[in-house]
Amino acid sequence: MKRALVVGGILLLAGLTGWLVLPSSAQAKRTKLVLTGSSTVAPLAAEIGKRFEALHPGVRVDVQTGGSSRGIRDAREQVADIGMVSRALKEGEQDLLSFSIARDGVCLIVHQDNPVAALSDAQVVAIYTGQIRNWKEVGGKDAPITVVNKAEGRSTLELFLHHFKLKNSQIEAHVVIGDNEQGVKTVAGNPDALGYVSIGTAEYDATHGVEIKLLPVGGVAASIETVENGTFPLSRPLNLVFRGEPEGVARLFLDYARSEEVQDLVRNQYFVPISRR
Amino acid sequence: MDSLARSQRGEKLAQVVMWSSAALVSAVFLWMLSDLVTNGLGRVSWEFLTSSPSDSGRAGGIGPIVVSTLLIVSVAMVVAIPIGVGTAVYLAEFTSTESLLGRLVRRSLDVLAGVPSIVFGLFGSAFFCKTLGLGFSILSGGLTLACMVLPILIRSVEVGFREIPDHYRLSAAALGLSRTSTLLHLLLPAAAPGLAVGLVLGIGRAAAETAALIFTSGYVDRTPESVLDSGRALSVHIFDLSMNVPGGTPNAYAAALVLLGLLLLINGAASGLAHRWLGRNIATL
Repeated sequence: MKRALVVGGILLLAGLTGWLVLPSSAQAKRTKLVLTGSSTVAPLAAEIGKRFEALHPGVRVDVQTGGSSRGIRDAREQVADIGMVSRALKEGEQDLLSFSIARDGVCLIVHQDNPVAALSDAQVVAIYTGQIRNWKEVGGKDAPITVVNKAEGRSTLELFLHHFKLKNSQIEAHVVIGDNEQGVKTVAGNPDALGYVSIGTAEYDATHGVEIKLLPVGGVAASIETVENGTFPLSRPLNLVFRGEPEGVARLFLDYARSEEVQDLVRNQYFVPISRR
Repeated sequence: MDSLARSQRGEKLAQVVMWSSAALVSAVFLWMLSDLVTNGLGRVSWEFLTSSPSDSGRAGGIGPIVVSTLLIVSVAMVVAIPIGVGTAVYLAEFTSTESLLGRLVRRSLDVLAGVPSIVFGLFGSAFFCKTLGLGFSILSGGLTLACMVLPILIRSVEVGFREIPDHYRLSAAALGLSRTSTLLHLLLPAAAPGLAVGLVLGIGRAAAETAALIFTSGYVDRTPESVLDSGRALSVHIFDLSMNVPGGTPNAYAAALVLLGLLLLINGAASGLAHRWLGRNIATL
């Protein structure tokens, strides 16, 4: 009885070690493409990856998240073959090459029951820097404003700061959030909150019964349509970044991700396909 | 007479307070459970449990994710149990509470038990993924979880050993049993309840972990072919669906319900097995 247990245990361990150490022959032949970065791009890249794998049976596309900054770092250190970055590259990042696969807009959201229909750029700046603290100062009801900001390293934050010419240190936030859906849930659960998230997420949730309202920016209504025709001021490219000129499988993947064959996937994620030049 | 009535009233009050705090605890659990069941049960089916996710998890099932979760937890337990039990035996049986090494180990464990899981995640990502070159893989995730679970496991098993009355050890010595056979045949089975508690708590913490896994075992939602592949854990999937994918909430509820069911199942199995295996050891002496 006891001996059988011991023998069984040893066999099990040996099997496990073999499975660990010796990669299966099928796996050895495979090419692996690793993408890391923006959590906004990751679901889209994963879906494109699945379709790409179906077309190229010898290739595996592994998508990991962690934010745009991670995408930049991993692409630079070649931990990843491709970085995902949901903004344009900054000055210090010109050592990398970037290619857009889609566009996304960032818009301000409030609770559905909030009577305020629009905020001017100056009002937004005043609210986020703590000069305006009550909704009645911008035409709303008498209630303190809950300012919802994005966490450091999120490209939505960077795009927002860039557009309103703010520094993150100037912002007096009450709530700091990470992903888009988290922002939507925070605002939907607080009638006095003001936040900003990706338009794709906001438009999807607003049309599916979540109690939020999208505010126009600079007089332009926030919608996927205005991002598509380029009139919405707060929009951002969703990029794949490479350390050098992409070659081989990475090149194939890039071309595929920018082709018309994946435009339905882009729309499924509530992003806007890029028009190819 | 008057003081008797007053003390009875005081006793009643204490009873009500105790009763309502106990009721509050179950109410919180039942509220959560009913929320999960009402929102998630309609979607859970055999199909959901076995098929692959599609459309970023909004459609399809969670088959590959359940497989990855089980693999990650198994790796964590295979690594953590021998080290954990070994350390606990050392602490409880082979050092006095006052010895320097014993105190150092215990202090480190207490500090480790309080470290937030994201710190373990960053450590795992830096050490297992990069330094050891395991990359995003189920192995990296499992090893990271093993580090995280060790403090809980060791402390519970150690308590299990300390609760064994000393006359067990004295009787064994009087009968001329060696320390090893005393340990194997007498103390280990007697400490089984402690091991069971440690396993239940450890597996619970491991299977529900998100922060430590998203940067170690990763985000890939394909069925893993080996433990060197990246695999998405259930908790990471739930987090992504509810916080990152618009329209993912319904499937997040269903996945959360599955995770809860899985935890109850694993916990039952773990405590049952710990009792049975170790309980039998006495008979085979």
